[in-house]
Amino acid sequence: MTSKGFLKFALERMTLFFVTIVFAISITYGLLRLMPVDAVENIVAQISVQGLVYDPIALNALKSQLYEIFGLTGSPWEQYFRYLKSAFTLDFGPSILAFPTPVRDLIARFLPWTIGLLLMAVLISWTVGNILGMIASLREGSKLSKILQGIAVTLYPIPYYVMALVLIFIFAYLIPVFPLGGSSLYVEKIDLSTIASLLKAMALPALSIVIVSALGWWFLSSRTLTLRVMTEDYVEHAIMRGLPWSLIVRRYVLRNILLPQVTALGLALGGIFSGAIITEAIFAYPGLGLLLFRAISTGDFSTALGIVTLSIYGVSLGTLLLDLLYPLLDPRVRHR
Amino acid sequence: MNGSSLYAKLRSSLKRFERSTAIMYSSSLKFRIGFTLITAIVALGLVSLATPPYHWQWYKLPKDQPPSLSSIDMILGTTTNGRSVFWASSNAIINSLTIGLLTALIASHIGLLIGLVAGYKGGLIDRILMLFTDSFVVIPSLPLLIVLSMLLKEVVNIPLMALMISITSWPWPARQVRAIVISLREREFISTAILTGIPGWQVIFKEIMPHVLGWHLINATNTVLYAIGAEIGLSVLGLSILSMDTLGTMIYWSTIGYPSLFRGIWWWVLPPIVLTIAIFVSLYLISTAIAERIEPRLRWRT
Repeated sequence: MTSKGFLKFALERMTLFFVTIVFAISITYGLLRLMPVDAVENIVAQISVQGLVYDPIALNALKSQLYEIFGLTGSPWEQYFRYLKSAFTLDFGPSILAFPTPVRDLIARFLPWTIGLLLMAVLISWTVGNILGMIASLREGSKLSKILQGIAVTLYPIPYYVMALVLIFIFAYLIPVFPLGGSSLYVEKIDLSTIASLLKAMALPALSIVIVSALGWWFLSSRTLTLRVMTEDYVEHAIMRGLPWSLIVRRYVLRNILLPQVTALGLALGGIFSGAIITEAIFAYPGLGLLLFRAISTGDFSTALGIVTLSIYGVSLGTLLLDLLYPLLDPRVRHR
Repeated sequence: MNGSSLYAKLRSSLKRFERSTAIMYSSSLKFRIGFTLITAIVALGLVSLATPPYHWQWYKLPKDQPPSLSSIDMILGTTTNGRSVFWASSNAIINSLTIGLLTALIASHIGLLIGLVAGYKGGLIDRILMLFTDSFVVIPSLPLLIVLSMLLKEVVNIPLMALMISITSWPWPARQVRAIVISLREREFISTAILTGIPGWQVIFKEIMPHVLGWHLINATNTVLYAIGAEIGLSVLGLSILSMDTLGTMIYWSTIGYPSLFRGIWWWVLPPIVLTIAIFVSLYLISTAIAERIEPRLRWRT
């Protein structure tokens, strides 16, 4: 792709990125407005029941702020634009579960944990799944391939959080390697022992994502792709040229199956994120999932809404980056 | 249409359904396994029609009893609030499947309609509809569902739950149906149909629809799966219909409400998990079997 062509493609893709984000945020706004219950009264009632905020002046300030966040003051257009503005600046006012810490700060504190877990789990499962799928289909018909296939079909439809429950049952109850109640993690400074406890805290949540997505989806799709690539003319030609097998696998097969899988990763991001959030809550892993769980149990809509908005950004940004990266990875994409 | 012809029509379509099920059953191992498993699960669910009335009260049975063969109430043990795990599981199957089926009924049909219109009309309408659909795709579904169900926590029931899950589950079917319709539109028989001058909706429903139906069935099956999964996800966070027995609420009460594994009460924890996995695997096997039947290229060379 010429640099000018790429620039045009990148600009178009960025525009689409912004339009979808505005659309997605507008949709959440619309859905919230359609709900038959008054969110603010609901929240304020919950807060007063739990006695989280005693000061009546603070409560009133909170109430008016909530009305603003939910876009319930001023004309409909003003309400809508105020909601857009608070979504774009991620400014959802003070959180309720850690009043008066702003939602933004709270999310910033929990976010790195989620990013760390997701990066690790996604990278491992994508690599392992693709390579296993390729190996299995190169040895099509062997016993190993058949067993792996059977496992993949069983694992693929299972959500991560159901796998998480299975892992807890096995590795915390039957064979007590990990604590039953999840990990209570507190990191003050980074040294060897905290890294060890960090890895231990990450192990089971990451494992439940890795097992399901590596042995399920990535395995199955990489297998289908490999079978297709193996019948292509260029692979047959390479075999006839008598090239060493390892070279054929690396240059002719692996490269051609990894490219479409990059796109697939972009499409899968949303699902992976959603599943990971609940997995985090199950393991009490200190990421956005746990924050969301706490927000739910204290009726903290501002925090929950902040997390939803942030995840919209995250997923569409991930897709955008993968799309922009694609022409650089695939020399064949020169058109458009 | 009078009653008897409607009856005849119903009977013939039932016959057709029976025949295609029989064909699938004899030709695909995956379908055989999936179908047998789901039939067994549904049968277990139907047993719930005989649920004794005291099941909905607490402490009518001794609490925390391990499974024993002494009576049908005790066959899977009892919970910490003195209820039979067996009756709870059986009710949970029916309630979870109802949520799944209702969602499939709503979401996959919205998806079908939007996909058909976008794919057939093309141009500006297609672009607008797809922009709308794509925006839903980038909203991670569970966080959105969580905020919605936080708002509806007090009033939620099965139809409302299905409606809510539908909001996030129609875009995928819509995209898929659109892709199929676009590839169909280029075929000759469709252009011939358009050239004969019959109205657009007839082209859609008489010419395109029959080719989409198989995929529609697959989409519906996958939506059932998705909905059951989403309900469990919401339950784990305490956002489902907590006063009812569903697979999700059983998981919630047994592992989060009363952390039973700490006290070794595995018989309350295990049934919902095992049932969930069984339902997921069986429905998935059925949907891939149908997909392989429609699109033989997908068939694995085994």
